[in-house]
Amino acid sequence: MTPMRKTGNDVLIIGGGLQGCSIALFLARAGWRVTVVEKNLAGRHASGVNAGGLRSLMRDVREYPLSLRAMDMWANLSDFVGDAAAEACEVRLGTSQIALAMDTAELQWCEARSHDMRRRGIQSEELVAPVELHRLLPGLAASALGGLISRRDGHANPANAARAFRKAAEAAGVRILEQCTMRDLAPKAAGGWLADTDTGRIEAEWVLNCAGAWGSDVAARLGETLPIKVTALSMMVTARVKPFIAPVVIGIDQPLSFKQSAVGSLVIGGGILGKPCLDGDTSFTIMDRMASSAAATVAAFPILAGVPVVRTWTGLEGATPDGIPFIGPSRRHPGLWHVFGFCGHGFQLAPAVGEAVAQSLVSGDLDPRLVPFAVDRLPPQPPRKYEASR
Amino acid sequence: MMLAPDADAIIIGAGPAGMSAAIELASSGCRVIVLDMQPSPGGQVYRSLDENMQARPQTDDLLSALGPAYSAGLPLIARFRATPGIEYRPSTTVWDLRADGTVGWLDGEAAGYLRAPHVILACGAMERPTPFPGWTLPGVMTAGAVQTLLKAGRLKPAGRIVLAGTGPLIVLLADQLRRLGVRPALIARTDRLKDKFTALKTLHPTGVPALLKGLGWLARLRLAGVPMQTGISGLEAHGRGRLTSVRMIAAGRTIEIACDLLVVHDGIVPSTDLAHAAGLALEWLKDDASWRPRTTLDGRAEMAPGPALTMGPCRIRITGDARRIGGADAAVAHGRHAAGAILAELGHAAGKPAAGLTGIDVQRALATRPFLDAAFPPGLAAQLPDDAAIVCRCEEITAGALRAMIQDGTSDMNLIRGTLRCGMGACQGRSCAATLARFLMEADPDRPQPPSPFRARPPVRPLPLGALANMTGLDPELAQIESLDDKPEAIIENDTHA
Repeated sequence: MTPMRKTGNDVLIIGGGLQGCSIALFLARAGWRVTVVEKNLAGRHASGVNAGGLRSLMRDVREYPLSLRAMDMWANLSDFVGDAAAEACEVRLGTSQIALAMDTAELQWCEARSHDMRRRGIQSEELVAPVELHRLLPGLAASALGGLISRRDGHANPANAARAFRKAAEAAGVRILEQCTMRDLAPKAAGGWLADTDTGRIEAEWVLNCAGAWGSDVAARLGETLPIKVTALSMMVTARVKPFIAPVVIGIDQPLSFKQSAVGSLVIGGGILGKPCLDGDTSFTIMDRMASSAAATVAAFPILAGVPVVRTWTGLEGATPDGIPFIGPSRRHPGLWHVFGFCGHGFQLAPAVGEAVAQSLVSGDLDPRLVPFAVDRLPPQPPRKYEASR
Repeated sequence: MMLAPDADAIIIGAGPAGMSAAIELASSGCRVIVLDMQPSPGGQVYRSLDENMQARPQTDDLLSALGPAYSAGLPLIARFRATPGIEYRPSTTVWDLRADGTVGWLDGEAAGYLRAPHVILACGAMERPTPFPGWTLPGVMTAGAVQTLLKAGRLKPAGRIVLAGTGPLIVLLADQLRRLGVRPALIARTDRLKDKFTALKTLHPTGVPALLKGLGWLARLRLAGVPMQTGISGLEAHGRGRLTSVRMIAAGRTIEIACDLLVVHDGIVPSTDLAHAAGLALEWLKDDASWRPRTTLDGRAEMAPGPALTMGPCRIRITGDARRIGGADAAVAHGRHAAGAILAELGHAAGKPAAGLTGIDVQRALATRPFLDAAFPPGLAAQLPDDAAIVCRCEEITAGALRAMIQDGTSDMNLIRGTLRCGMGACQGRSCAATLARFLMEADPDRPQPPSPFRARPPVRPLPLGALANMTGLDPELAQIESLDDKPEAIIENDTHA
């Protein structure tokens, strides 16, 4: 799989989100010529407006090998994106992430999960006893029973991280075309691809579909059915308050997820979804739903009741039926990979995804850590009607 | 609308426009809910008028200083209070507005959604933000803020005071202060005499009384020996930690005056944040460097192009200064006209025949405006600020930082907000959006229109978590939690223990 230097690019990446830019970065470092086409602005959707969680806690076990590698990479981010950009990402590791058990059912789930993880030889998740829990989380409601803790976890600034990977990719020689729509994409008879874009024709040996919430559409245009649910993940941001909490707190059955950002504001999520608007390239916050997220936050931390929410965010993302992304070669077209459908937890994985996908392409051998994400792992899907899932 | 409405109409704002619309609708039998931020009705112009009347004689001096323009609101407030069918909710902040007639409110620790088939947005105006060097120093205030302190706090300023800027309000305020025994050290106006001569061409006969009133204020100020300078520019506030002096260019030379309080005013512009958040179309007025909502004469708003949160027709009308700056009388006339249009739509006999007449009243009341606009063009904000000046005061972002990012090739308002935090503070960009839009125009003069304000998402005003957690009036369909459902299974089946 030696890169061919005849015409155009080695790789055309569709989508300038975090995953696309990360793969582009590692491919360019390996000497490949890479172009990224982004229909909007790089990092505009879920890549730039997620919660920024650097979390291995409560991850699907199939993601663990990638997640562990990614954690090492976040810890040494300047090696990959340079000192200034790494600084801007505000990476905070070791603050820990804690999944709160607020009732006995959740506590039982924690015990089972912890048992299961130990059995699999994964040591990073521990049960946390109430005494330590209340010490780590001042202001936590007395009713909290315990939880799971992953001590190495932390968080970063998602908008800055999306920008950092993009800049690093550009510095490595990647051409990023923003506000550039891909009008047509077709395999060439002699191998490779020809794309028709707003900025003209682009030829490439490989195409990577990193189109996130639009990934399924891109696949469908090429006759491949890879179902995702398009979601508008929503977050709330409060006014700045005095630093009081270092760990990231997540719920188990509650729509709860919150952390204190570097500037002091609380960033509250919990997987609450807004209204996606794929065609309009946007999404809307639905406050009727955020109410339950606020209720879960106040139930766990009653002292926060008076803290005002000042803004909300939402960003478009794709979720697969089985909760882990599609990463791997197309089964239909040679020279095509799909890398999308990160289900709202792709941020932490991004550096390792970039590295593993790039290595697989360069070496010609699929990285074994990517095997669980094969695009044909689900039972055969009925062909998707192009407009069906909008 | 799928959910049962809470009223026939919801009115946002109890200033002259909101009150007059409410009276009109309720008098014809409509059930009206009026939401207003202030503890008593009157808007900015008649703020605390009720309380100040009740507190007589101790407020006699204040009332006489504020003059007949202030007391003129009494009959309207009295009618508003007396009209049955108006559910008036004071001290209530609106933090969300949807085109389908859904209104998010906050009162203390309680919050909720209300719905009506008609919503009238009567949220008034705001003072034009004027970023100049030193404008965020303690000791620099706007004329509106000084009036608020006078009316609601019964506080008058002391020390050496300089008033700077333009517009009728600054002259009115100077005259009110004079009556209260406060003698400004200088009134520094950006407008010039030649503006007045140019403006005379646009003077409508209905504007003559207002013109005479203004000339009266000026004459009394001159008689009292208050120094006044016209055509000033290059205003700067100086001081370490707080204001100690102001500097400006007057008659071609730089002057510096020691002072304790600098009162600035550069005219008022419509408050468009709720309209924008509801997805309504705004238009940019180049000469005024401001946005205003796109409406028909009777206030009907239209949706901005592009995707929207809600389906169906737009149920919002906009009235008063929130629609078009015209002052209290024009706001009263338009509030009545907008209400008449709703009554006509509802098939009330009262609506139809009156609509033509109230429309004429609106045109008449707004006819004085071109003269005022020409006589008092934006001054402090006429030139974009130098790099050192702060533009976003919530996050302390300077003009230089914004220009640098724009020169670096960024042309998207939201990207600049996300990167520099400009507009991310508690005010949600109300104060800096227009200035940033002008920087983008400055960098690309061929651009026919500036960008829209920052992407607006609820809450438009701060909303406590506890209030949000216990909200009433949720749409049961929308409130259905759709979550990611990504909790991994804790598989224990192969385990000996299990």
